[in-house]
Amino acid sequence: MSWVLLAALVVPFVTAAVTLFTGHRSDVAAKGISVGGSALGLVLAWVVALAHLGDAPPLAHVFTSTRTVGPPIELAVYVGPLGAAMLILATTVAFLVQVYSLGYLADDPRYPSYAALVSIFTGAMSVVVSADDLWLLLVGWELMGACSYFLIAHHWELEDARAGAVKAFLITRTADLGLLFAIFVLGDRFGTYRLSTILRVITEVAVPRDGLWLPALLLAVAVIGKSAQVPFHTWLPDAMPGPTPISALIHAATMVAAGVFLVARTYPLFLSSPSTLTFLALVAAVTMFLAAVYAMVTHDLKRVLAWSTVSQLAYMFGGLAAGAWSAAVLHLLAHGAFKALLFLAAGSVVHAIGGATSMDVMGGLRDKVPDTFVTMTIGFAALAGVVPLVGFFSKDAIIHAAWEEARHGRLVWPWVAWLLVVSMVATAALTVAYSLRAWLLVFFGDGPEVVHDSPATMRVPLVVLAVPTALGGLAVTVPGIIGGAPGEHLVHWSTSVLMTLLVVVTATLVLVLYRRRGRAMWGPVVVPHPPIDWVWDRFLVRPVRWLAVLVRAGDRDVIDAYADGAAASARGIGGLLRRTQTGSVQGYLMVVVVGATAIAVAAGLLA
Amino acid sequence: MSAWLLNGLVAVPFAFAVLTRLLARREAAAVGLAVLGGLVTLGWSVAAVLVPGPDVDVPWIAQLGVRWHLGLDGISGPLVLMSTLVVALCLVSLVRHDPGCGGRAGLAALLLLIEAGVLGSFLALDMVLFFAFFEVALIPMWFVINGWGDPHDEAGRRRAATRFLVFTVLGSALMLVGFMIVRSQAGTFDIVQIAASYRPSGAAGVTAALLVGLGLAVKTPLWPLHIWLPDAHSKAPTVASVVLAAVLLKLGTYGFVRFWMPVTDPGWRLLAPFVAGLAVVGIVYAALACLAQTDLKRLIAYSSVGHMGFVVLAVSTFTVGGVQAAVYASVAHGLITGLLFFLAGAIKDRYGTGDLARLSVLYGKVPRLAGLFAFGAMASLGLPGLAGFWGEMLAIRAAVYPSSGLPAPTYTVLAVIAAFGVILTSAYFLALMRGMLQGAPAAVRPVNEEVPSIELATREVAPGTVEAGALRRDVDVMEWLTWAPLVALTVLLGVAPGLLLGPVSEAAKAYFGGLP
Repeated sequence: MSWVLLAALVVPFVTAAVTLFTGHRSDVAAKGISVGGSALGLVLAWVVALAHLGDAPPLAHVFTSTRTVGPPIELAVYVGPLGAAMLILATTVAFLVQVYSLGYLADDPRYPSYAALVSIFTGAMSVVVSADDLWLLLVGWELMGACSYFLIAHHWELEDARAGAVKAFLITRTADLGLLFAIFVLGDRFGTYRLSTILRVITEVAVPRDGLWLPALLLAVAVIGKSAQVPFHTWLPDAMPGPTPISALIHAATMVAAGVFLVARTYPLFLSSPSTLTFLALVAAVTMFLAAVYAMVTHDLKRVLAWSTVSQLAYMFGGLAAGAWSAAVLHLLAHGAFKALLFLAAGSVVHAIGGATSMDVMGGLRDKVPDTFVTMTIGFAALAGVVPLVGFFSKDAIIHAAWEEARHGRLVWPWVAWLLVVSMVATAALTVAYSLRAWLLVFFGDGPEVVHDSPATMRVPLVVLAVPTALGGLAVTVPGIIGGAPGEHLVHWSTSVLMTLLVVVTATLVLVLYRRRGRAMWGPVVVPHPPIDWVWDRFLVRPVRWLAVLVRAGDRDVIDAYADGAAASARGIGGLLRRTQTGSVQGYLMVVVVGATAIAVAAGLLA
Repeated sequence: MSAWLLNGLVAVPFAFAVLTRLLARREAAAVGLAVLGGLVTLGWSVAAVLVPGPDVDVPWIAQLGVRWHLGLDGISGPLVLMSTLVVALCLVSLVRHDPGCGGRAGLAALLLLIEAGVLGSFLALDMVLFFAFFEVALIPMWFVINGWGDPHDEAGRRRAATRFLVFTVLGSALMLVGFMIVRSQAGTFDIVQIAASYRPSGAAGVTAALLVGLGLAVKTPLWPLHIWLPDAHSKAPTVASVVLAAVLLKLGTYGFVRFWMPVTDPGWRLLAPFVAGLAVVGIVYAALACLAQTDLKRLIAYSSVGHMGFVVLAVSTFTVGGVQAAVYASVAHGLITGLLFFLAGAIKDRYGTGDLARLSVLYGKVPRLAGLFAFGAMASLGLPGLAGFWGEMLAIRAAVYPSSGLPAPTYTVLAVIAAFGVILTSAYFLALMRGMLQGAPAAVRPVNEEVPSIELATREVAPGTVEAGALRRDVDVMEWLTWAPLVALTVLLGVAPGLLLGPVSEAAKAYFGGLP
């Protein structure tokens, strides 16, 4: 079975290489190869995954091991129930995205590179969810960042796409340093980079409370960056200029989902460090509310969905922080299904009306794109948590767990737990409001003429995704399938009734507003954006640029000094020295930099 | 048999260099011969690495106790293979590409001569022999830069060549003095014996270590001794830039591992941390310099300073892990920066300029060339799964856990700064790609310009069409042939780090007996 898994991991990369090298010769070949390769990867991944869901023993295998000093770096895989479920989610969404792209990018001349990057993206996510060695995980983790960079910049002739891509890559890569250093620390502490061994040791040997706070916190930083939580959240909405199917891939099944996956995968480590969980809970509480508020007021359909992803991911982190592992993982899977559906449906809407993404110019589309209307309605309802769709069960389970944690939990500091509960309930109401608003604005009222309804390649994936979105809620009855504790109850009547009441009240309120005030509803409300981008810019980007200019000038200064001196070679070295001593830019810079080094050296001497 | 292989590794490129020079009148034949020479040397080096054998160790200058001691182990083997490959590819590229300024035959002969010197330096296990080969590798480069450099700037290339020579020869002179002092302490020039039994101490030991380190720091180069490098690399012809960056810089890093580490005691509390500090300053400084560069070749040249900073940081940790990282990063840098200089040369040939203000939308104009450049940039910024990643990340790891005699807090601080250097490296490569590869071709306007949308659909600009901008020749067969091995090895070393890490750690443990 391990070789099937290896094949499932290799196939996407081979597909990408073949697509790149042969794709530009023939359009049909490019499409055939990329969809065919994706299908093959899908089948292989399902074969592996189905065998390891539920109680089945996990698949653990080490292919090769590199002798190094310190712990060996191994090509090691591990697929438990969680990994299996994630494999299914990632490869399925990726396959549907490939099929959908046949229609969405039908005459795009850049299709071959696009399809190849989607394949690599899929492969990288599969590597992340099935890796056991931390270095292997890091490879997949950062490879996804690079793929998303290239895909966001698919329309590289547009300024927004170029800027958004750079921002996404730099922010996530900065946060990734957390993962890198966590790997160093864990490897040094446990003498292995193998995650399964590390987690077993943490579970079996009683680690002192917060004894592993450093690696846990470092991992949390990496995860917050990848999953676009505050304060790294600004890259995700700016990543929207990429083609819509890419948004579906990034938001539902790969990139940002990997953050939640990593916390779930290394959960014993986080459980051993309540301080880190508190930090995570705080970040989640702030993020979910903030993002939901943005989703309330933005006028762009894709931005609504992007902010809602940020908000929903925060739910998952909140759930994990509150100890509700199964509920959070279920929400991750549920979100994967309905968010992929929502993005692909949004793409279908955008395609139908000729490219606009602003909801101001949409409306009245329910008769014109009927399939999209029905499926997207299911998606929005699931997002809002309408009974009995999939989002309802998982969200309720998370909120219930947070409530229990706040009342008599031991993980998170009490006031943070209460903040988390309040934020969750408020966000649930906001989620209903913005989902309903988007739904009304897109499908009701008057609107533009439809250029063309979407082709079958775009409509079929919507229908396929609507099925788990509608029926996936049944999974809560068997949490064991994803490796949750047996006998765990995820349905709680009290919470369910209260939350349904919340949905009904909020929806009524929104409908009343819609009747009274038309499409404006609560507009025009302007939410001030926290100046995070401004801070980044002012305190990081600009000083760096300024320093860069200084360095360049300084270096040129020295070289010129040398060149002048070389003309009269006897005075050459003298000229060099003189120039560095005359208080020019180079002189100051040299002092600063050498000073910094000296301080570092001194720190060591005194320690 | 083994003696033949080792001596031949120096003699074969030398012989081909002489033959090529003699045939210089008939240029095509001479270049063909040189290519043959490059390929034979490549094959020879593979054989030499695959067939392990005893060292060659015979007296050379008996009066001074200098011996002809050549050997090949896991530390020098990867660098030898990388060097013979890169030089062979440079020679292959000369078949179709004429840098102008004079005969290609002379250039090819000089490249082979440099190769002989480089291979000799990698094989030499005697300090004076190393010095001699080091000089053989350096001096022909003066002729190359001076004779075949930037045809538009004769004065500039002359200055760059002279500066290169003055700096590096001055450096190697200091190194030689250092070697002499070591000899007076240890009683031998043989570095294997020195590594096994010499314990540096006292003022003489410190002075020797300082001088050897200083000489190698010029060649590597270590900040602030790097100022010869940007000019030399950017004025040199493409093949020489490739050889300079991929091969000649490695003389410095290899020298640090082979000749500096044994004559230095990590127990001295200042020297190693100070070297590490300079290396880290170099990483950040080079990245900042790259952010503000306006010339493509200068930018890549500066990026080398940063990459070499990681190598020296790894060396200065005095651990086997550090040696592994240093060798890995050296080999990876050779492949990746070699590729980037090839690509920069190709871009300069097509557009007649390396001025970044005048290069844009290469994705549209020469999509395959631009795609390869994007690959090279990703590899150079240390994307996991490609060769550049392992060396530099393991260097940072080595810095977090340095040798026990070294001040761990200093090194941790330096490791964190180096890690942020990785981010700065990403930043300048992304800025470069944004300005040079991406951009809006003049003819393109979004089709839905009036429609409020984030995702603007443009009338797609098919890459390589007239619409995308002025068309230039995209990658041709000969270029694919030259670059494909570099691309393939970059991927291979990215996915299979064990190929290199294993042999290097074995060799390092054997060579430095007591290293942690």
